[in-house]
Amino acid sequence: MSLLSRRLPRLARQFSSSAARCLATPVADKPVLNKEFKIYRWNPDEPATKPTLQSYTIDLNQTGPMILDALIKIKNEVDPTLTFRRSCREGICGSCAMNIDGQNTLACLCRIDRNEAKDTKIYPLPHMYVVKDLVPDLTLFYKQYKSIKPYLQNPNPPADGTEFLQSPEDRKKLDGMYECILCACCSTSCPSYWWNQDEYLGPATLMQAYRWIADSRDTHTAERKEVLQNEMSLYRCHTIFNCSRTCPKGLNPALAIARIKMELAAD
Amino acid sequence: MASSLLASSSKRALARRGPAFAKTLLVSRPATTQSDALYVPGGPVYKGTVNDPTTFPTPSRAHTHHWSFERLLSASLIPLTGAAFATSPSVHPVLDGILGVSLVVHSHIGFDSMVVDYLHPRKFPVLGRVATWTLRTATVGVLLGVYQFNTNDIGLTELIGKVWAA
Repeated sequence: MSLLSRRLPRLARQFSSSAARCLATPVADKPVLNKEFKIYRWNPDEPATKPTLQSYTIDLNQTGPMILDALIKIKNEVDPTLTFRRSCREGICGSCAMNIDGQNTLACLCRIDRNEAKDTKIYPLPHMYVVKDLVPDLTLFYKQYKSIKPYLQNPNPPADGTEFLQSPEDRKKLDGMYECILCACCSTSCPSYWWNQDEYLGPATLMQAYRWIADSRDTHTAERKEVLQNEMSLYRCHTIFNCSRTCPKGLNPALAIARIKMELAAD
Repeated sequence: MASSLLASSSKRALARRGPAFAKTLLVSRPATTQSDALYVPGGPVYKGTVNDPTTFPTPSRAHTHHWSFERLLSASLIPLTGAAFATSPSVHPVLDGILGVSLVVHSHIGFDSMVVDYLHPRKFPVLGRVATWTLRTATVGVLLGVYQFNTNDIGLTELIGKVWAA
């Protein structure tokens, strides 16, 4: 009882303050900041119609700070047919990967350039088949990811039935690789992947291949390295570094690919 | 859902080849599955189903050796070029010869990489092979030329030195 009585005033205070905050305060003092967005549109229901850039102008002072906020605002208020993928809105799902002002990145992590004189152009990920508008077909990307067997292969589980143990140093080798969210920004920024994506695995998949090669708990390291030793899968990487430059998570796929090459050469 | 996406993309590929072709193929095989569709490298049609992983070509250590050789050659060209210019080519004709051969092999690997990247025979069965053999012929020709030039004339290093001074 005493506890409740002590808490009651605080509860009341919380309610009152939240009620005050809920009152809509007009933001009339903010000036209108109109910004033009040019967005790639293509509708599979009209396959003969060529893709076009459609222009939308919205008030940035009535919009959130990120490109994804602008896209959602356009879809909600201007054009409900605009199609794009999004889910987490905080850079952890990798759904909203697209090409914004020439750079592959996640729309949810990309701030809107507030210069109203310049328009912002948004395209789907480059050199991929388009399903609709900003939605690329990532089936091949996922098939390639599956081909490197992205799971722990070790036929000898620990005798005591618990987890595989790993030293902190070995665990540290996986840092910078396990964080990859497979948004495909790096692979679709790679010219080698543009020209040869049916054979070349691309930076994202190769980094995950090395993530399992580097894992001390995995016993199939030799097999994992073996399959990469052909002309196309790995050696189409010409260290262009577009992958590391574009990664919205700040990872370095080029370094992982270089390490695969070094380990293969040293074997 | 994925299969419906793929069906639409394969229809798109057919539509690009001309409406008549697409119609006949779609009519004759209304329930075309992904594995039945014609596979074109780089095209929207996949090998196997959407759940099958992509396959790897037959592995060979040769490709790893190729990469190591290419890197070592590129790295060694830097001191080699410096040494060839620092010493007198008439005193060290062997060094001049090694430089000539290394430069040609280095260029050959570079051009060959471009042929594999842009004109791979799986996509360009005729043009790709023509390009590969043109490159091989050119490399052999240039090697012969460098040999002739280095044995019967002033040699590579001295030529560049003269052009530089001119």
